[in-house]
Amino acid sequence: MITRRDILKLGGLTLSVMLMPDGYRILKAQEVPKRYAPNLWLNLSRDNYLTVFVNKSEMGQGVYTGLPMIVAEELDFPWERVRVRPAPAGKPYVDPKMGIQLTGGSTSVRNMYETLRLVGASMREMLVSSASKSLGVPREKISAKGGYIRVGEKSYAYGEFVDLAMKEPIPSKPRLKEEREFVYIGKSLPRLDVPEKVEGKALFGIDVFEEGMVYAVVERPPYFGAKPMKVQVEEAKKLPEVVDIFPISTGVAVCAQSFWACQKARERLRVEWSESFVKGWDDGDFERYFMQKLREKGDVVKVLGSPQRSFEESPIKIEEVYIQPYLYHATMEPMTCLAWVKKDECVVYAPTQSQTWTLEVAKRISGLPESRIKVITTYLGGGFGRKANVEFVAEALEISKRLGKPVKLIYTREDDIKSGYFRPYSATLLRVGADKEGNLKTLSFKIAVQPLLGGRASVEGVENIPYSIPNLYVERVDVELPVSSWFWRSVGSTHNAFSVETIIDRVAHASKKDPVELRLSLLRENPVARRVVQTAAERAGWGKPKMGEAMGIAYHFSFGSHVCHVAEVSLDKKTGQIKVHRVVTVIDVGPVVVHPDLIRSQVEGSVAMGLSMALKEQVKFKGGGVENTNFHTYGLLTADEMPQVEVHILTSKRPMGGVGEPALPPTAPAVANALLWGYGIKVNRLPMTPEYIKTLL
Amino acid sequence: MVKEFSLRINGKSYKVRAFEDEPLLWVIRERLRLTGTKFGCGMGVCGACTVLVDRKTTRSCLLPVKDAVGKEITTVEGIPSNHPLKKAWIEHQVPQCGYCQTGQLMEAYALLLENPKPTRQQIVERLSSHLCRCGTYNRIIRAVEAVSRGGKA
Ligand code: FES
Ligand code: FES
Repeated sequence: MITRRDILKLGGLTLSVMLMPDGYRILKAQEVPKRYAPNLWLNLSRDNYLTVFVNKSEMGQGVYTGLPMIVAEELDFPWERVRVRPAPAGKPYVDPKMGIQLTGGSTSVRNMYETLRLVGASMREMLVSSASKSLGVPREKISAKGGYIRVGEKSYAYGEFVDLAMKEPIPSKPRLKEEREFVYIGKSLPRLDVPEKVEGKALFGIDVFEEGMVYAVVERPPYFGAKPMKVQVEEAKKLPEVVDIFPISTGVAVCAQSFWACQKARERLRVEWSESFVKGWDDGDFERYFMQKLREKGDVVKVLGSPQRSFEESPIKIEEVYIQPYLYHATMEPMTCLAWVKKDECVVYAPTQSQTWTLEVAKRISGLPESRIKVITTYLGGGFGRKANVEFVAEALEISKRLGKPVKLIYTREDDIKSGYFRPYSATLLRVGADKEGNLKTLSFKIAVQPLLGGRASVEGVENIPYSIPNLYVERVDVELPVSSWFWRSVGSTHNAFSVETIIDRVAHASKKDPVELRLSLLRENPVARRVVQTAAERAGWGKPKMGEAMGIAYHFSFGSHVCHVAEVSLDKKTGQIKVHRVVTVIDVGPVVVHPDLIRSQVEGSVAMGLSMALKEQVKFKGGGVENTNFHTYGLLTADEMPQVEVHILTSKRPMGGVGEPALPPTAPAVANALLWGYGIKVNRLPMTPEYIKTLL
Repeated sequence: MVKEFSLRINGKSYKVRAFEDEPLLWVIRERLRLTGTKFGCGMGVCGACTVLVDRKTTRSCLLPVKDAVGKEITTVEGIPSNHPLKKAWIEHQVPQCGYCQTGQLMEAYALLLENPKPTRQQIVERLSSHLCRCGTYNRIIRAVEAVSRGGKA
């Protein structure tokens, strides 16, 4: 565990980056004014190790590798000597462009790229200047490469100059490398987190211990929106190792010396819960409610041309209603947190995606000032947005405060599913109109969904659609329900890419137009996107399936990246079972490819999650609560269902795009479109389970 | 109900107090703090908790500790770092979040003990009982295939 104070004591050359009103400032550690706080720390030690303190959560996306390699590039430093540590939470580690410390929105490399290069380059120049002085050699005769200062035949480790370098001024305009000078950027360096993950030594949230700690589980209401009214604890308290049982804001906390004692005790617990609006609701009730909401007037977000009239006058008109379910994040590591609220100090170890919100709940619950709170980010056993919601941290804090002891809270899988914060349910009404040649002239979109990001997520990917459509209408109806909803990898694009991309193919199908051709013409004003679609079609061998019976294509722009998938699919008409054999995918990430293999693995993972959502996933309701209880009733994609995935990466001159999310949204529509062309099946809801598909045959 | 048990894990002896019906998983990872073995579902569905008991893969979340007494238990910590499987996992950069990986690796390890040269089909079948939310399946299969071809496990 490292704190800000520890960083200042490290010795060697320590630089920090601070966001000031006029932009970034690079400062030496000791120059950091007391009340100001930098955004990032880097330390080059006397024994020639570079430690980068990264202000992002490593949840599998490779940020512990991607960010340090950018610094190491400009510093020109050997990769084997680079180490990475999580930065302590607090004002110093706020993401400069987001204003809070949060890992999400596929932003990590995007936001930090320039800053990391500058600071690496600054360090390098300071080393060169100090070497020049101490060796009495002009700067031009010195090169700094691979962690060594070289003068003629002689070479000296960077570490030899760190103390002197600390006295050098920070260069105002350090020279950055030309692209052709890159030694790391563009290469797939080995990930820094992989060896300890393979050994079982990586510390996840669930792997933390504290002397004298108590375990806790929380018994949760059987339906959303309820609170515990009456709790009978006598029987439960008789068990060995049980410490205490009491209601908290989200349920009833059961605390014991072991996790298993908590579990046994909760079986003997009797809780009466308060009433709630959704008590008694089953799946059908949700569908009726959302369909009713879809008929209400909402907020009109965008109007281009005259959508109403042009739709009515269109020779080809298609209207469709889409229903998409709540989805569960299913991080393999459930929510878990170790918290300790003491009188004058508060410590939190958490697999959190948001250090800022974690700090906020710690302040609120402990009542202590920020300077008395330590937040330590562990590895995250999956995040996908879920772990940016810190209610689980708040629960651990609340329990610890009451007991005055360190508390390790563990959600069972059943608790984790029940706890909600799902990708919201949605009902979408789409109307599209085209001329006889299949030229799409009108797209009218109306969605009823629980709003995220103040409603922006509801219309994500539609309001900013890259297609040239002269008549566009976008409306959203905000739904409020006690079922908690939250960011789920790719957020609003998950539902909108599905509805929009499948209806595009319905137009193509109705007018006998090739869906690739239709997309290329819709993207006539967007050459970058056109090239993505074109390349995907070429690489996949469009029109000639190799492994499956049918092919489908889908394209979507989100998180700054363009992605197009071509899926090869077969359907067993007897069983309704879909098999996806191969997905060829093209992603355009903008100007640079920092680490190609990280992009590939993120895309492979997004396709897997996208297929899982397309074919299997649905949170089901019974009595107003979640009917699925564990992975046997909330199935995820398995190895035998995983297609071959071929990833092609393109670059273009434009702002940098993200890679963690944008490949997910086009997955489900690519599969659905293959069903349309191959089997004439019109899918308008997810998941495409065999039972559902059979009803369409 | 809480009793002392003697366990043999990775060739070492441990004495530990636990409930008789407490799953081996919780004894290993929380009471003995060998945290490489993970909790995912607690009902035998995800594979995160996979260990070897007398050289057979076992979902430790389902095995009461009393039934593990007198048996030889192997966890990921007991597989040497230079084992071809661990090396292949690094070579193919398999893990993303990494949470499911130790269970996957133990399953592959057991498979290779039983059959040093499994076919791709056999590998896929065997590992399909393990969940990976990050979607690393193709890399896992490639890593195991590489070792299978190497035939050194
Ligand atoms: S935790 Fe044992 S199989 Fe999932
Ligand atoms: S690597 Fe994250 S669950 Fe498998």
